[in-house]
Amino acid sequence: MPGAPVTDVDPEAGRAGPDRPRRSGLPGMLDRFDELLGRPVNLRALVVLRMLIGPVVVLHLWPFLSDALDGRIYRDGFYEPYASWYPELPRAVYIGLLWLAAAAAVAMTLGLFVRVATAVTFAVVAYNLLLSTTHVHSNRAYLVIVLGILTMAGGPRTEVGPAWPLWLLRFEASIVYAASGFSKLVDPDWFGGTVTWLRTVHVRDELARSPVPGSVQRLLLERGFHTGAAKVIVLTELFIAVALWWRGTRYLAAWLAVCFHIAIQATASVEVFSYLAIAALVVWAVPSTRDRIVVIDPADPGHRRFAALIRWGDLLDRFRVVQVRPSPADVGPGRDGQDPADERPRLYVIDRDGTRLEGSAAAVLVLSRLPLTAWFALPLRRWR
Amino acid sequence: MVAVVVVGQLVLVARGYWSDHKEFAFQMFPEASTWRADVVRVTAGGERIPVSKPWAGYRWSDMVATRGLRYPDVRHHADAGVDNQLAFLDAALDWVATHTPRDRETVYLEATVTYWYNDDDPRVVVLRSQDRS
Repeated sequence: MPGAPVTDVDPEAGRAGPDRPRRSGLPGMLDRFDELLGRPVNLRALVVLRMLIGPVVVLHLWPFLSDALDGRIYRDGFYEPYASWYPELPRAVYIGLLWLAAAAAVAMTLGLFVRVATAVTFAVVAYNLLLSTTHVHSNRAYLVIVLGILTMAGGPRTEVGPAWPLWLLRFEASIVYAASGFSKLVDPDWFGGTVTWLRTVHVRDELARSPVPGSVQRLLLERGFHTGAAKVIVLTELFIAVALWWRGTRYLAAWLAVCFHIAIQATASVEVFSYLAIAALVVWAVPSTRDRIVVIDPADPGHRRFAALIRWGDLLDRFRVVQVRPSPADVGPGRDGQDPADERPRLYVIDRDGTRLEGSAAAVLVLSRLPLTAWFALPLRRWR
Repeated sequence: MVAVVVVGQLVLVARGYWSDHKEFAFQMFPEASTWRADVVRVTAGGERIPVSKPWAGYRWSDMVATRGLRYPDVRHHADAGVDNQLAFLDAALDWVATHTPRDRETVYLEATVTYWYNDDDPRVVVLRSQDRS
């Protein structure tokens, strides 16, 4: 975002708080925790998350809206309220609220009336979820949590604010994988492969009709295959839950999480869970902006196209593009009798730690840090 | 506020190990269990009439169209575990018993449920709605 500060504080950098006597023991720990949550950081990730969550909310509401269009709402059939005192609205008001929430979700994505739109979306989605035990699914619960934290975080009057919403979203994003993985780890049927094997056996007719090659189908129906596969699934979930917390493993964990959700989406009916969980990965971006510099030559059409790609895809505002027309001295001496001025100037990136990368290495770094291209570019970066 | 959310979330995760519906506990794909049920209406005369037959203008498949309960006589995957499924079926029996005012003959509904917890041998439980009076 043009003009945004480049000196945002990194909440993960372990900076000391303001000058005041440090207490020891538990009070000291609480002080440090308090300081960590209140530390001002760039909240660009929340803006991006709001933008991505809007379509997820519409997708979530669609079955309710579709039923309403067909003249049915939840109470026309079996439902089970959590509490007798929970308010139930007249039919027209209920349906109106669902449409209002869908409109508010679109407004969230478009950045219109963001505070009100987020609050309305959260209120209606949460109200609808808690109307009946039959409405509650894990993906919907996660959606309500994310909307709730976004509502508590407020709107983007400024992109810099206290770090606590990010930490809370990270905790929730992590707990989804941790709780799921741990529940499977302690279940001998799950960790031993019985559950995944039986699920595959139960859908063998669909599997037979699928384009999956016969040899793969036979493998998937082997009991022994699931003894190993189940452990890989459980440990992957637990790895993602833990590895997202450390910078050294975060990119791998995020990349694995995307693979994991694509696999789940392809093999199971999970409503909006995959989209939501992938969107929520943006909260793991280091909350500082424009702290990587991309230097391009404005005279080079390839560089200009690359700069345009950055402007389009840099949702987290991580790059500052600087246009520099290199002098012959910068380009270096010509080779094979070429005029130095004819040699193609190289695009380069100065990373957060001052490292300078040039050419394709620079391009791969940039692509690996843009949300929409990261999943494709991260393996290239590792491979290089 | 942060501490309240964190503690609350951890409590809900722990609660998932004993609650039927495991709300906010994020136990995804917990079982490969399956179930089926013979659901009948029991009349004052002692007749046991399958709910697969419409009665008094009611149709089970229209009234109970959610959470895999629409066709209980067909063996199904227990979507979020057997406990979850049995709790929903139990609640559905009560709901139907209390939302069918044109039915003048049924005393209660009863489901004889056979379930297979993962690859365990089948087990049978009988669920019964509240009496209609």
